Amino acid sequence: MESEEPIKPKATPPPLPAVPSLPPVIDEADDSTQGSTEPLYEQELTLPVDRLHPVTLVIAFWNAIRGFLIPILIIFVLNRSREGGSGIVFFLMFFFVMTLLQQVVRYFTFTFWMEGGELVTKQGLLARQERNIPLGRVQDIRLEQGIVHRLFGVADLHVETAGGAGVEASFSVLKLEDANLLREAVFDAVAKAKRAEKGITEEEAAEEEVEEETIEIRRLSTVELIQAGLTSNQTASTMALVVAALAFLDDFIPTDFFRRIESEFKNNVDRIVNAGSSVDWWNLAAMGGGVILIGLVISVVGALILFHGFVLGRKGEDLQRSYGLFTRRSSSLPRRRIQVLRADETVLRRIFGLVTLRADTAGGNPMDQQAQNEGRNVLLPVLPKREMESVLPEFFPDIMRGAPEWCRVSRRAIRRGTVKGSWILVLASVALYFLKGGIESLWPLLLLPLVYVINVLNYRHFGYVLGDRYLRTRRGWLGRTTHVIPIRNIQSVAVVRTPFDRFHNLATLVVDTAGQAFTGGGPRIGNLPTEEAEMLANELTQKAAQMRYRWN
Amino acid sequence: MDAPAESVESNWGEQAAEEELIALDGRVINLWRIHQLIGSAVFLGILFVIGSFVSLSVDGAFIWVAGGWVFFAVYKLISALVYPPLAWKHFGYRVTDQVLEIRSGVFWKLCQQVPLSRLQHVDLQRGPIERSFGLATLTIFTAGTQQATLTIPGLEAEYASEFRDQLVAIGGDDGV
Repeated sequence: MESEEPIKPKATPPPLPAVPSLPPVIDEADDSTQGSTEPLYEQELTLPVDRLHPVTLVIAFWNAIRGFLIPILIIFVLNRSREGGSGIVFFLMFFFVMTLLQQVVRYFTFTFWMEGGELVTKQGLLARQERNIPLGRVQDIRLEQGIVHRLFGVADLHVETAGGAGVEASFSVLKLEDANLLREAVFDAVAKAKRAEKGITEEEAAEEEVEEETIEIRRLSTVELIQAGLTSNQTASTMALVVAALAFLDDFIPTDFFRRIESEFKNNVDRIVNAGSSVDWWNLAAMGGGVILIGLVISVVGALILFHGFVLGRKGEDLQRSYGLFTRRSSSLPRRRIQVLRADETVLRRIFGLVTLRADTAGGNPMDQQAQNEGRNVLLPVLPKREMESVLPEFFPDIMRGAPEWCRVSRRAIRRGTVKGSWILVLASVALYFLKGGIESLWPLLLLPLVYVINVLNYRHFGYVLGDRYLRTRRGWLGRTTHVIPIRNIQSVAVVRTPFDRFHNLATLVVDTAGQAFTGGGPRIGNLPTEEAEMLANELTQKAAQMRYRWN
Repeated sequence: MDAPAESVESNWGEQAAEEELIALDGRVINLWRIHQLIGSAVFLGILFVIGSFVSLSVDGAFIWVAGGWVFFAVYKLISALVYPPLAWKHFGYRVTDQVLEIRSGVFWKLCQQVPLSRLQHVDLQRGPIERSFGLATLTIFTAGTQQATLTIPGLEAEYASEFRDQLVAIGGDDGV
């Protein structure tokens, strides 16, 4: 089976590898960066504001009360009857005042400005803290408005950068208009610097500006959000799967078989749980149904509150999203910063023909638990599958249009998967036989055809497409995951071969990208013929080498 | 459905012939042996202490513990003798068309490819034993996540720093 030769050692010390001369870097978006010595950013850019809005104090007070009220109340109630409890109350009051004071100091000392292509924030009374954020590194600027914020017409503004773990600077709070102006000022400054880089004059840019209006890519209706909520529930998905499987099996297996399993199961449960007395199965079923129903209601209400009025739009290069019923959130990210795009279809979503789109930038933080609660981990929470191909060009303008022609991996994948599954079944049978004895304990072997069918389905539904600028993969026949990766954002590629891979002369291709907070990074393509895997790796890396990777 | 693979195979054959993989400095074999022996010595030392306690507190365990320990010691010794030459034989790297390729692995094969324009920075490390061998290790960093670092061990020290300068010169074209 092993056909490959070991690497031949060369004379030592090895000669230096020949360095090829640099081919020109292909980059439509911007080129001819060399030679411009002018500063890219104007020395001084004026921002609409240079400090936080006075409402900051109100919100600080509100937050402090919210955080301390309950502990104080609890202690107050608990200690009402006893003497000497006031010590703890004073202790808490002290912390309350300290927290408040800290916020007041922050309000009075926090200033910010733009200077030489950087956004600078400064705060602190005793320990001064100054932070410089290069505008070119800004990945995402998010606005967030809680209910209190909306009451006063103010917003939190968070700036995320590449390389930083999540939020680099928070402006809490600004007047809503000012926050919007600040966001635009930052993105305008970046765009201006880009134009200066490319040598486009402001007049030419002004002409182009006409098409820089915001285009609405997708607006989610309430019905769609309800669908999203209904299909996001894991328990319901599992139930749907079980019901479907039972309905399918029902045609093949005599009803007697089920009845026997049922009675055996009942007897066992009765013996263990109730020590002989019978369980009320109807009650149990009703309870299970109730739990699922409550779960569904919670998911639907959650989706409605979180994503109410979801709009995804595009202004020039920037993708903008805004959503939320109580807390309004809006964010914008330049579309070429998308490192990986992943479309997820869980089983239930697949049945309803829905997908969820997730995207990663280089700035995301995988440990960010809040991202999910704030809906930041999805680019588009729900979308009818048939619209996906028409939406993709909004994210990747140079992607190939039309339905992709999927390449399959090696057919050996079927045999390999089946053999692997068979081993597990055989081991299970042997174990059962030794534990219980009797010929019936070999029933796992009856599942062998199923293992084969599953592997054939897996093989048929796995595919990849290597385009000029994008690599796409898809996998899964029950649930499905589709990846789209701009080749310019590929960091490295690895071809992995385990001893089993080598036995079958197969290999796994692993594509590594910068961001993997919400998408889990690039895909793995398993069961490729070795030569094909190596060829793909070569092509991907050579294409990537010709394209420029940019943080901004 | 496997049609594209066929055209690929012939293609690949030609391409592989163009640039040959460069092997590591042969001295690295003994360096790896020493590293392995040191690691094994520490491991066996810990095992010895645990084993002593067990055989003192459990009757009749001595034979088994001693036997197991000797077995491990012999296994470690043999693997320290046999494995490094194999690892050296299967390790190779090359730079082709702006792509650095590193192949490694005796049983688990790994072939990593990095476009040089994706290099973030390159580290040159020299441990004390490495220094006495006159060798150095290059560690190459990308902005990636799972495969963000790649290493080339066992390079002749001067060559390593030259190679690093060269990699940075090719790769450092992007300002970031």
